[in-house]
Amino acid sequence: MLHRRVYQFLIIYFIGFAALMLVKYSLNLSDYTIPGVSEIWTTCRRYFGLYLMAVLNTLCVAILGHLLSICMATVVGIIGRLTIWIGSFIRVAAYNIQAYPIVAVAPIIFILLGDGLSSRLLIAAMICYFPLLLSFIGILSEPVKEIEHFFESTLRMNWRLQAKIRAFENIHKLITVIVGSATLAMVGTIVAEFIAANAGIGYSIRIALYQSDLAKILVALFLIGICTSVYLVFLEWIGWLVKKRLGNI
Amino acid sequence: MQLEIKELNYKYPGSVGDVFQQLNCQVTEPGFHALFGPSGVGKTTLAKMIAGDIKGFAGEINLQRIHQVLYTYNLERLPGWCCLREHLDSITPKSNRQRLEDLVDSFGLQPCLNSRFAQLSLGQQNRTNLARYLLQDFDLLIMDESLANVDEITKEKIILKIKSLFPERCFLYISHNVVEVSKFCKQILVLRSHYKAPQAVSLQGQDFNGQRILKEKDLEQIMLEIVNAA
Repeated sequence: MLHRRVYQFLIIYFIGFAALMLVKYSLNLSDYTIPGVSEIWTTCRRYFGLYLMAVLNTLCVAILGHLLSICMATVVGIIGRLTIWIGSFIRVAAYNIQAYPIVAVAPIIFILLGDGLSSRLLIAAMICYFPLLLSFIGILSEPVKEIEHFFESTLRMNWRLQAKIRAFENIHKLITVIVGSATLAMVGTIVAEFIAANAGIGYSIRIALYQSDLAKILVALFLIGICTSVYLVFLEWIGWLVKKRLGNI
Repeated sequence: MQLEIKELNYKYPGSVGDVFQQLNCQVTEPGFHALFGPSGVGKTTLAKMIAGDIKGFAGEINLQRIHQVLYTYNLERLPGWCCLREHLDSITPKSNRQRLEDLVDSFGLQPCLNSRFAQLSLGQQNRTNLARYLLQDFDLLIMDESLANVDEITKEKIILKIKSLFPERCFLYISHNVVEVSKFCKQILVLRSHYKAPQAVSLQGQDFNGQRILKEKDLEQIMLEIVNAA
């Protein structure tokens, strides 16, 4: 049985596809502008395998970037929860930097690192890092007084216990933020591939765009949607397992 | 062992009215004492000041031969990632291991030991929370409505157990129940609004320890005194 995320995507994709066909046939547009169903089907059969590999390549980089940003957000979030100057500095810096569009920095990364895995990974991580960081700082710097009081009174509190209490109490929020940022990781990787890559589905779309081949782009969009939905389903399942293990459900 | 509060003045930052104005009171011996008063009069605030959680007040809080003050309140929770047994084991100092079994039995916590905190009733949660504080080393324990939602019979059993286990320690029991305060407490500090002088009145309770018969008239007399003082 398809997970709701997957069939929701399928519904949206085919509504969009139907709308495109409606535009094509109602305005009598040429196959060059919007290809017909048979041409799209032929392209799909020809490029499905190739594009699937490209999407999986992109997804792998997105997952790596996502993991990297989660690790960075956790470490910086733990430091940012501190009430001393370093904590305040990190919080203010995070709020200010996140307001800046990271995509605009992407060309600099491309110039410095060239096209390839490192650029894709870094851009993907940076695009999903700041939303994660703000949530992590917010969650980790919010005291759970009714639990922490005992440990503070009896002088048992340390940073690990404090972070554990706060993370556990906000596990639902954390999982929602992590799942939400997975889409950003995918977006970040594709954006990186548009700018600086020699592989991945973003790179394939860029080539299709130069060829004005909408059929290829539609096939690529379909695969991106399916793979992203599956990744989100997987993350939700991991979140469910974590909550179950911690007795939070 | 002495707790002395001298000319305490305090108002919350940003508020207009005083909570305390020239508050004076003292507890001079160990035992199970009460801090009584109507809602909003400042019992919790005073408790937090004694515990060192609130600073920035004028006046003095002197503690003699009281080195470790613990403050517990009824809304506290235990971490939810482990069961009670695991938590109690992890927070009990080695020297108090024997006390753990004793408290678990007398607080009626045996059936809940394998449950997580969220799965307990409110009364069980409060009993568990109080038990873990009693497992710590302390000289003064302030119990802010720590036995709320606990039935009367269990509450009496718990208070008598505390009194028998810790005769040399000092307790400040915050409660709105005039009967239990009159019956079980040695000294009752009745806290009043800051426009009443003195702001705290000290009364003697029955200090019932389960070994003598209480005189109903004496108890009624104390209850009347408390109500009149408040």
